[in-house]
Amino acid sequence: MTSRPWRDAKPRRVVAPTMSMRLGPQAGEVIDRAASITFEWNGRTYPAHRGDTIASALAACGVDVFSRSFKYHRPRGLLTASHLDPGCMVQVGDEPNVRGAHRLVEADMQVRSQDTWPSLSFDVKAANELVRRALPAGFYYKTFMSPGWLWPTYERVLERFAHGGVVGTQAPDGRPGRYDKRHAHPDVLVAGGGPAGMAAAVAAARAGSSVMLVEEEQQLGGHLRWGDDADLSALREMRALVETTPGIEVLTDSVVLGRYDSNWVSVLQRGLPEIDERLVKARVKTLVVAAGLIERPYVFAGNDVPGVMLSTAVRRLVNLYAVKPGERAVVLAANAAGDAAAADLERVGVDVVRVEDARTGGDVVAVRGRGRVRSVQTADGQSIDCDLVVTATGWTAAVSLLTMAGDVPRYEPSAARFMPDLARLSVDVMATGGIVGDGTLEELVAHADATGREAARRAAAVAATRRSASPTATVEDAGSGDAMPAIVPPTLPVNPHPELFRGRTHGIVDFSEDVSSKDLFSAVAEGYRSAELAKRYTTATMGPAQGKLETVNAVAVVAEATGQTIAETGTTTWRPPYAPVTLGALAGREREPIRRSPMQAWHESHGSTTLVAGAWVRPDHYGDPAAEATAVREGVGIIDVTPIGKLDLRGPDVARLLNLVYVNKWSKLEVGRVRYGVMCGEDGVVIDDGVTGRLGDEHYLMSTTSSGAAAIWAWLESWLQTDHPQWQVHVTPVTTSYASINVAGPDSRELLGRVVDDLDIGPEAFPYMHVRTGRVAGVEGCVLWRIGFTGELSFELHVPAGYGLHVWEALLEAGRDLGVRPFGIEAQRILRLEKGHFIIGQDTDGLTRAYSAGLDGLVKLDKDDVAGMPELRWQHDQRDGPRLVGLRTADGSLVPVEGSQLVDRDGRICGRVTSSRLSPSLGRSVCLGQLDAEHAQPGTQVTVRLIDGTTAAAVVTEHLAQVDPEGSRLRG
Amino acid sequence: MAETSAVARSPIAPAPPEVVVDGWVVSARRSAAALTLTDLTPLAKVSVKASWDGSMAELLGVRFGRAARLSWDLAGSPADVLVTATGPGEWLVLAEPGRQGAVVSWLDGSAARADELVTVVDLTHGRALMRLAGTSSAGLLNKECSLDLTDTVCPNGSALRSAVSGVATDIVRDDRDGVPSYLLNCERSSGQYLFDSLLDAGHELGVDIDGFAPQETHS
Repeated sequence: MTSRPWRDAKPRRVVAPTMSMRLGPQAGEVIDRAASITFEWNGRTYPAHRGDTIASALAACGVDVFSRSFKYHRPRGLLTASHLDPGCMVQVGDEPNVRGAHRLVEADMQVRSQDTWPSLSFDVKAANELVRRALPAGFYYKTFMSPGWLWPTYERVLERFAHGGVVGTQAPDGRPGRYDKRHAHPDVLVAGGGPAGMAAAVAAARAGSSVMLVEEEQQLGGHLRWGDDADLSALREMRALVETTPGIEVLTDSVVLGRYDSNWVSVLQRGLPEIDERLVKARVKTLVVAAGLIERPYVFAGNDVPGVMLSTAVRRLVNLYAVKPGERAVVLAANAAGDAAAADLERVGVDVVRVEDARTGGDVVAVRGRGRVRSVQTADGQSIDCDLVVTATGWTAAVSLLTMAGDVPRYEPSAARFMPDLARLSVDVMATGGIVGDGTLEELVAHADATGREAARRAAAVAATRRSASPTATVEDAGSGDAMPAIVPPTLPVNPHPELFRGRTHGIVDFSEDVSSKDLFSAVAEGYRSAELAKRYTTATMGPAQGKLETVNAVAVVAEATGQTIAETGTTTWRPPYAPVTLGALAGREREPIRRSPMQAWHESHGSTTLVAGAWVRPDHYGDPAAEATAVREGVGIIDVTPIGKLDLRGPDVARLLNLVYVNKWSKLEVGRVRYGVMCGEDGVVIDDGVTGRLGDEHYLMSTTSSGAAAIWAWLESWLQTDHPQWQVHVTPVTTSYASINVAGPDSRELLGRVVDDLDIGPEAFPYMHVRTGRVAGVEGCVLWRIGFTGELSFELHVPAGYGLHVWEALLEAGRDLGVRPFGIEAQRILRLEKGHFIIGQDTDGLTRAYSAGLDGLVKLDKDDVAGMPELRWQHDQRDGPRLVGLRTADGSLVPVEGSQLVDRDGRICGRVTSSRLSPSLGRSVCLGQLDAEHAQPGTQVTVRLIDGTTAAAVVTEHLAQVDPEGSRLRG
Repeated sequence: MAETSAVARSPIAPAPPEVVVDGWVVSARRSAAALTLTDLTPLAKVSVKASWDGSMAELLGVRFGRAARLSWDLAGSPADVLVTATGPGEWLVLAEPGRQGAVVSWLDGSAARADELVTVVDLTHGRALMRLAGTSSAGLLNKECSLDLTDTVCPNGSALRSAVSGVATDIVRDDRDGVPSYLLNCERSSGQYLFDSLLDAGHELGVDIDGFAPQETHS
């Protein structure tokens, strides 16, 4: 037996974390050796340097296993050592699913493995592998169905196997995540900050474009960062160019999430000082995709054992983080990247035992090991002891963004990869770099430079068009700009590459989803013969990497299983988002508009309970709504009704508009008079009500419901601009130009008289349903209405809003001896209910036509026209539909819950209670309801079905108003 | 406690210290920050509606999408006004605090000579108005507004209407001494919310509240 001294040595165990695998300084390293920090990994403290990722810091300490696989809980190590690495998803504090091979270590960071129990090293769920044959891909489509009574149990069991971290309910440091958004309008957005991306950005900026350069890694540079001395020199030069060229905004640690119609592009930006994540919404004139090539894993037995890595992973670990990936390596190389990886390993003292050259028939067959590679079998049948297997078997073009822009990639067998069909791209999308072809660095830069210049040219043309079409442009801007000739980038060569996807054995295809090539073969055998179906059945490519590592291998395996070519099989369709995005980033900052009256601060400082009504915050009551209502009935109260909609109407044709939108007549409304009106939609359904007063010959002030203010404005404008553009009417919203105060109660005239000094407000001079303008509490320009919603003598004041608080306080001061007190929305609801005044949307619904709201006397069908006329006429003639009624419960102390059903003798539902309160004026409940017409006659007995299932007797009252039904109090 | 004489208040609570200027309670705070937000609600604001291409439009001389500083004879003395046209057939005239009556009179006089329906409405109390000023003002605004505010599309003197923090807002680019600056106005009741949203969004940019200066006009 061959001596394997290194293998026979005592197994390497991490007893005390030290940087046993840290190399000496590397030319391109990104770690700061002068800055040492510590962090926790699964409860133990580990050292790191600033610039380390979580994975590199742990790898430097000899950690091999970072996670367990999704289904079978197999140990997983580093595969790519990049943001795509599927083996290093970890929990950081309260943040789950952190990409440990991308996230930088911070001092005192607490990192844990995910979804393992009781520990990462000993995970009980690994028992799944023992029953692997019972858990193939798609097994859940055939299981957990019967018996149905076991579903709750199935759910509890499956919950324990749900993959992913834990979402904390409280941030450990007490600071909730901060997310926000930003809009941007760059001329050119370059997705990808490698050499091609940088060159394109510089060229576009030099051509006069504003450029946004987005790179997913923490630094610009792409593959140059882990390259040789020449690469590092080029990297420095290109970074300096980017830095010194004006007009380039660089976003690193950021990713383009998607490209949508008209080049709307979303970017997720991280690494900001005060913001956890920012969603940048960019409207881009030209998008340049320079996302490069992604190295593809090789499918073979044991390809997921820790210690199997891609060549780029090895080069990153060595050159960026100065980490020795292993001690004894076998390299499978099908390209120059593999050769370079082998060279790097030898340079840093790794024993490269064998380089299997796939270009001349070399291959690896199977890896043995569990927590770490122990040996590998090569194509010639040899078993080589080693702890590191490096594969360099091919590249996948990152064409996702191009696919979102309409590209259908075509498979190029000679290059063993899918490539974009540039002819399909729209004029506002371009591509450069490795996506398009290969070549030397100089060739790639030349292509990118031309692409950048052409992108700028196209963007300039778009800008000129937009500028000339924009009303904000000045006369000087109005030119369309000179058309410049198109710049055609040179053709890039496409280097040949052997087609290596699956080796001679079955292995893992999707490392995140634990889907093997054998699973894909099974799926095809079951009839899922297309790439799309096989994907959905097995979930291959549906993990966090979203297919970037797996798609081409999956397609190749499906092609192999079906006997088709890869080109015939085609690929799946990439859709946004390109990378996983948090809900926090999508939500951004809380932006919910709040509207406040000028007196709201006073209400809050005087004990009001807040009511949120739409966007308005209002005072619901001040502690005792019943007492507030009583004060209005017996003395005087004031209420802030600022949210009432108010529209200023001017022009010779206002009366024609009022006749059209209100069900009653308006032609003869005199100056100084007010009239109540109700509006219906074209279906005859009641949509709004309010009073309109005539302030002048061609000047009216319309009030609407507070919730309907904006909708009614739009309703009026719609009629004026579409059906009657010839009518001379102007509508100006003035809802919040005025602070509105209703002064109500028997003493309201007395109180108002103390603050109005230029107006006779006596009953003859200022009768009910009239309007005046005057001075209130020294404030000019106030509008006073003699109207009321409460059923008492009342005046509604509309005061220039800036003086609202002044007038409010003046009323309270002036009425102190009268016992004036504020009353809130709840008291107002009680008062109006006692008077039988309906509220639209409360006592009516989306089907309530005018006659069902008790508006028989208001609707004038003999007008030339009114919105909803045909439906109203029909309802009038048919006499169908429910009716609005007043209800009185036999037990006056019973206040039915609003919405309680009304049932007839046979128990059939014949209506509902729409409004219900205990009346302090009457000492009993008062209700309104909608009731089928045949039961709506006064005196009809009905039954209320309460929410607890019991019933109560009620009777339909003679009038809707149950206090002062004749209305003498309000006309006083 | 009720005030004995009428003073007007903005919907935006003034940052201390408070002072009364031209009958309005305003903030007397002074900021030297590079990016500032100032409540200008006390400015007179008068709305005009007429045909976008009629005689009144010609008389005002400011087309849709633009704003201009003009000198009008208000009550016998010249006064600077800023005429903004953020909607077709809609203008909002800004003037010094307390001049709304004179502006209305001037416009009513002009309207009488026009051969069309012209509506003049004093919206001084109906709109909250604020100024965002500083080299990064567009950057702040673009956190809350999706419009293209680049110089090519939105040069100095642009007047437009969009949503800012979810509130319908008129935006006028009104640079001061070459420094980018925007006048924002919305319906009054959302004024505090809009002001707070801009402060929140601008926190990382170092936005600070600047008070209303006694000589503050739109110019």
